Amino acid sequence: MRSLLPVLLLLASLPGLAAAPPAGGQMLTPVAARPQAPGFELTDIDGVRHRLADYRGRVVIINFWATWCPPCREEMPSMQRAWAQLREQGVVMLGIDVGEDEDTIFEFTASYPVDFPLLMDRDSAVVRAWGVRGLPTTFVIDAGGRIRYRAIGGRRWDDAAVLDRIRALIPH
Amino acid sequence: MNTTLTRCCCILASFLLLGPTVAAPVTTGQDPETGLRFWEWRGEGVLFRLDQRLPDQTRAFFLARGFDRASADQVATRCVFQSRFRNTADAGAVTIDLDEWRIQVPGDAERRLLTREVWTRRWQAASLPQPARIAFEWSLLPTRQRYAPGDYNWGMTSYGLAPGQRFDLVFGWRRDGRRHHARLEDIQCPPDIHPEPQ
Repeated sequence: MRSLLPVLLLLASLPGLAAAPPAGGQMLTPVAARPQAPGFELTDIDGVRHRLADYRGRVVIINFWATWCPPCREEMPSMQRAWAQLREQGVVMLGIDVGEDEDTIFEFTASYPVDFPLLMDRDSAVVRAWGVRGLPTTFVIDAGGRIRYRAIGGRRWDDAAVLDRIRALIPH
Repeated sequence: MNTTLTRCCCILASFLLLGPTVAAPVTTGQDPETGLRFWEWRGEGVLFRLDQRLPDQTRAFFLARGFDRASADQVATRCVFQSRFRNTADAGAVTIDLDEWRIQVPGDAERRLLTREVWTRRWQAASLPQPARIAFEWSLLPTRQRYAPGDYNWGMTSYGLAPGQRFDLVFGWRRDGRRHHARLEDIQCPPDIHPEPQ
């Protein structure tokens, strides 16, 4: 035992392997189980009600965010650019703000103009029902209402590879 | 000799139970404009970074979201950092549990982070309005999270120490069921200073 100890301790003290190369950060994580997306009914900052069920048959991108969240702000312009490319193909994009009111979000849009609906989850009930733990978190829902991709943290949503993955879900 | 052998066995047991302490390049530095310091650890397909937040910054953030002065002060002076955790690997998910991380201060007992759950219990007695509690919860790094490749979170972490106090942080993660941990040394809690605009 005593003769083995120095070897084992040496092994224990070895530095870790070299860091893996960065993964790029543009990945959407496939959700293998493809669970049915939890339904919701929320009002946007213009007072319009949105039910997820109303969008059945279309691909829906759902982004949980908040105005004070730095990576949320960083990815928002790319979401707008992505939606500009996808809206004609019937893709729906919904931003769901967590815990804030119309005035706060409206003020935010002066600096970060977006055309897609910004819904309010004032009591955070929806974000909890979706199992989200950090902002931003984004889901891509297929035409059958199933969760197909998830991204925790910001992405560049107008990246060609990301757009291709989303377009591949559009029913023909 | 028995003492030495016992110590060796303890170290070996720690290695077997906790996994190896991973050595990796640590970057530290200072923002040239604000003077605030950062500590960044990058290795094993993981990036973890702490950026100092002045108590004034944290106080203002929470006052703007419905906190009363006493509650905002309580958070702001408990050693708060802006934190980032990222899975930088090409494959394989990583999970974290902040309840497993440890704060080490020389001459003091190990401490745990003040997580969302710890603060939530404190706010139950403070009668904070709902928007304030929601903003607080979501502005902290998640206590438990699973990061696929490319996933990351930013969020505040709170260490419960006094402004300016120094500590080491033993932080960890799991990949493929294997537990890893690493150490950031001589982190300094943000000082409670009030810089004037230049």
